[in-house]
Amino acid sequence: MIDQIEQIRRAAATEIEAASDLQALDITRVKYLARKGAIANLFDNLKTISATDRPAMGKALNELRQSVQSLFDQKKASLDLAAMPQQTSYDLTLPGRMRWIGSKHPITQTIDEIKRIFIGMGFQVATGPEIEDDYHNFEALNFPPDHPARDMQDTFFITDKILLRTHTSPVQIRVMENQKPPVRVIIPGRVYRNEAISARSYCLFHQVEGLYVDKGVTFSELKGTLLTFARQFYGSSIKYRFRPSFFPFTEPSAEMDITCYLCSGKGCRVCKQTGWLEILGCGMVHPNVFKNVNYDPEEVTGYAFGMGIERITMLRYGVDDIRTLFENDTRFLKQFR
Amino acid sequence: MRVSLHWLKEYVDFTLSAEDLAECLTMVGLEVESIEYQGKKYEKFVVGEVLEIAKHPNADRLSVCKVNTGKEAHQVVCGAPNVAEGQKVAVGLVGAVVPHNQHDPDGKPFALSHVKVRNVDSYGMICSAYELDLGDDRNGIIVLDSNAKPGIPLARYLGREDTVIEVGITPNRPDAMSHIGIAREVAALLGKRIRLPKVKVKKGSVPIKKVLTVVVEDTQRCPRYTARVIRNLQVVPSPGWLQNRLNSIGIRPVNNIVDITNYVLMEIGHPLHAFDYDKVAGQKIVVRLAQQDELFVTLDHKQRSLRSDTLLICDAERPIAVAGVMGGENSEISSSTTAIVIESAYFIPQCIRSSSKAFSLSTDASQRFERGADPNITLWAVDRAASLIQSIAGGEVLKGVIDVYPKKIQPKRITLRPTRVNEVLGTTLNHKEVSALLQKLNIRVAGKARKKVVSSTSYVVPTYRPDITEEIDLVEEVARVYGYNNIDTKTESLIKFYSYAPEWEFADELRNCLIGGGYSEVIVNSMQEKSQARLASDKVVEIANPISKDMGALRTSLIPSMLGVIRHNIFHGVKDLRLFEIGKAYFHDPSIADGTSLQGFVEKERLLLALTGIVEPVSWGRKPRSVDIFDAKGELQVLFNKISLDKIKFIPYSTTDALIDTGLHVEINGQHVGMVGSIRKGLLSMFEIEQDVYIGELTLDPLKMNRLRARTYQLLPKFPPVVRDVAFIVDGAISSEVLESAIRNAGKPLLTSIKLFDIYTGEQIENGKKSCAFSLQFLSETRTLTQEEVDRTMQHVIVQISSTFGATLRQ
Repeated sequence: MIDQIEQIRRAAATEIEAASDLQALDITRVKYLARKGAIANLFDNLKTISATDRPAMGKALNELRQSVQSLFDQKKASLDLAAMPQQTSYDLTLPGRMRWIGSKHPITQTIDEIKRIFIGMGFQVATGPEIEDDYHNFEALNFPPDHPARDMQDTFFITDKILLRTHTSPVQIRVMENQKPPVRVIIPGRVYRNEAISARSYCLFHQVEGLYVDKGVTFSELKGTLLTFARQFYGSSIKYRFRPSFFPFTEPSAEMDITCYLCSGKGCRVCKQTGWLEILGCGMVHPNVFKNVNYDPEEVTGYAFGMGIERITMLRYGVDDIRTLFENDTRFLKQFR
Repeated sequence: MRVSLHWLKEYVDFTLSAEDLAECLTMVGLEVESIEYQGKKYEKFVVGEVLEIAKHPNADRLSVCKVNTGKEAHQVVCGAPNVAEGQKVAVGLVGAVVPHNQHDPDGKPFALSHVKVRNVDSYGMICSAYELDLGDDRNGIIVLDSNAKPGIPLARYLGREDTVIEVGITPNRPDAMSHIGIAREVAALLGKRIRLPKVKVKKGSVPIKKVLTVVVEDTQRCPRYTARVIRNLQVVPSPGWLQNRLNSIGIRPVNNIVDITNYVLMEIGHPLHAFDYDKVAGQKIVVRLAQQDELFVTLDHKQRSLRSDTLLICDAERPIAVAGVMGGENSEISSSTTAIVIESAYFIPQCIRSSSKAFSLSTDASQRFERGADPNITLWAVDRAASLIQSIAGGEVLKGVIDVYPKKIQPKRITLRPTRVNEVLGTTLNHKEVSALLQKLNIRVAGKARKKVVSSTSYVVPTYRPDITEEIDLVEEVARVYGYNNIDTKTESLIKFYSYAPEWEFADELRNCLIGGGYSEVIVNSMQEKSQARLASDKVVEIANPISKDMGALRTSLIPSMLGVIRHNIFHGVKDLRLFEIGKAYFHDPSIADGTSLQGFVEKERLLLALTGIVEPVSWGRKPRSVDIFDAKGELQVLFNKISLDKIKFIPYSTTDALIDTGLHVEINGQHVGMVGSIRKGLLSMFEIEQDVYIGELTLDPLKMNRLRARTYQLLPKFPPVVRDVAFIVDGAISSEVLESAIRNAGKPLLTSIKLFDIYTGEQIENGKKSCAFSLQFLSETRTLTQEEVDRTMQHVIVQISSTFGATLRQ
């Protein structure tokens, strides 16, 4: 009986495969799978087999039926498909009908990414007014009246004492005035500088500021946080350095450089042949700033940092004229989908 | 500040390359912005000696010269009329880059190669002053000193082998605005000591007091005034070395006296001023405040109107200098000057800063005084100048010095706790280590260090460091010398608390929704012309000192700046635009205090979307249609839906608004939050836009406040809906909103949804009427509706609408 099974298996497989249309295929069904077909015949013969062999034979017969049925089904599906009418009336190479495609401004994209990284590190987000008073923009940040440090930031004035903020740092003061430590915020926003407009500077730009105040915050940790940020934002393989700088509201103050990612530190036009790119300014919050917001500088320490978004964006995408960012030519914007 | 390395080496020894030095200085906070190798310009230029001259066989005006360039002789063809045998000349060899091409209209540089000039070989070029960028003379070659040695590099002959670095000095570091100041930092870094030049003045016999008196009326603004008088000197051009020094750092030499005061300024950082003694009336100098509106002509030949807080240096009769800023024309050193007064004073920073600001005049002197000069260096500086003058210009330095210094300014003593250093920096330095670091900067322990364990120490800070006034300043100095990069980088205390507020991302949500809808985000200038800002409101915030008139105010609406963007794009051929901006509008309103802005000012964050051109991108099988107000309205409806806002009302209004023509107010819970409309034609033409523009403008805060926070799930209907279409012909004046709500009422309770799917006027419709076609959906929550039930409700609706509006059914 085993021989018969094998014979039928092979014959059925060959005939099903050879069937060229549904009619020919149906003949194989009648021959093997129908109620009076070859396989059914074998099942009838089971009765003649000894009781000990019967279960094994039964199993073999079932397998035969399944495998032939499955070959038949596959072939039928493929012949069905071939029998379907061809849709030749369409030219499928015609372009699809599109919708308009929107785009997020590259400045927003940069801010979003910075926000995402710092929110992930436990920073909250704060904002503040762009029309500021002298106190919050300068004095509370330890810029004495008539101090040359004010020249670092050419200011637009509304009145004598009211101005367009020159940095996002006044929001540090506003946050600390309204909240007891610990404070951990980032502050994105628009700032203004009264500088001649050129390829390198515009009368306004965006910053993201950061502030962390608590017991035991150190310069070490400032470095750690900013390194974590820089590795996420610029890539894990960057090298970095911190070098002393000056901001009235932090001391010690520093600037953070990373290896130029355009030339990998070999020196190029963008990094002015130094191999380094300055990416942000930072430092430990000056005790005078704490005094101005009624924090006790003996109790808490803190760090602050700030970065210019346009600069980062320009470096990232190789934009060499800052005005391009404010021109909003859609042919430019659509490159940032 | 430009620093010459040759010059720097007079005060401190170092073998670092310019790059390494730049790196070191940068890492202590004196950022080196550029390095200029001055010799590079004259690479492959040498001093040559003209050995022989022959006439060029094929050209009358050319000569063929044999030039000794040290080791060998080169044949050079020369066209200059003044070339002669025996001359020492400047020769560019093959490979040299000549700074200016005499035959090029722009004088562009060019590289020398071996050429044939009318069939005669030429292996270089004898150059003119113009070609070498040494002057304007291009009529003939430059002839060098007869004792110049052939073969030496031209750069050496010219004294231009120096390397000059440009150091960016932050405003807190006046002490670093000189070569000695930079040398002090280099010495601290390398653990060396600096050398100050020896100052020796041969004094004359006549005491200075006989020829000059100094009266300081305002010792608060001028705590110290030091002066010397030198007579019988000769004002002539400075010797070469001095001119080269000044030239190398970009200071134009004037005459020996002025040059020496500049030299000392750049050496020690203390500003000096020399007056022509014979022009100082009454042999007297008075330091006093100006009278309001007193007139004075400064050295730059400008007449200045003085203020009552301007500090002046005067003689017995009139002002002769604006203290610390600039001298006067009336006492200027000239070639006929034979006697001078050298002033070396200390003025307080605030005083000089206000003068400098008042006259918009920033000079080398004012920059140093306003950042803080060293009151205790005046005497050294004046003597240094006197001794240089004596050796260069001759003359007799009168006996004695005038030094008005009623109250000596002592070095500050500041207490520092080593624990504080570690608290701020995260270091583990002890008292000894801290002191050793500070010692490098000449910040020394006051008195004797006695105890072994010290919780706090008092340090004496040199008076040239006015920036160091309190403990934290010393912490910074420790960090600087210790090296920022030697401080550990730790992150362990991170991620202590985490919180998140969805309102941080409200604007982002709107943004993402619009971007998905095909809008491009723009970011624009928030400053604009006053007249533009006035279009939307008269509560304009004006800028007192704008860059230009077209940025004289802050915007009161996002619309005009958006129109600017649209114009730009249309001009560049992109006419189908969907744009949005999320930004602020600003108002000046003294009566308002909203808590988030400054008293009297309002900053409102807004969303503006703008559509113009066609609705969908051009495609086959699609009929282009221009956008209209309903596309704009629909966009806002999508947005409101997306951010879960209901209770929205669009209220049509006719308006005299300067920006919007026909439009709709948008209200949430009765509060006005924005508008939709088309831009007025007049405004469009101001922006030279010739196509319709539709906008929607919304204020974000009320949206944020009114959005539905909690959403609850609504059970889905279990039974199938029945849909019926109906078209009413009604009077054209009846609004679809009114019609819709009447149908809704009449269809209760089975009618669950109404959609207006067509509006038709024209053929078959009576003039003045319109056909409105609705698709009505009926549904019950308790049973499958029968046709009869739906028919009954439909009938009721038709009767109601017909009687209320005189409507007829359109068949």
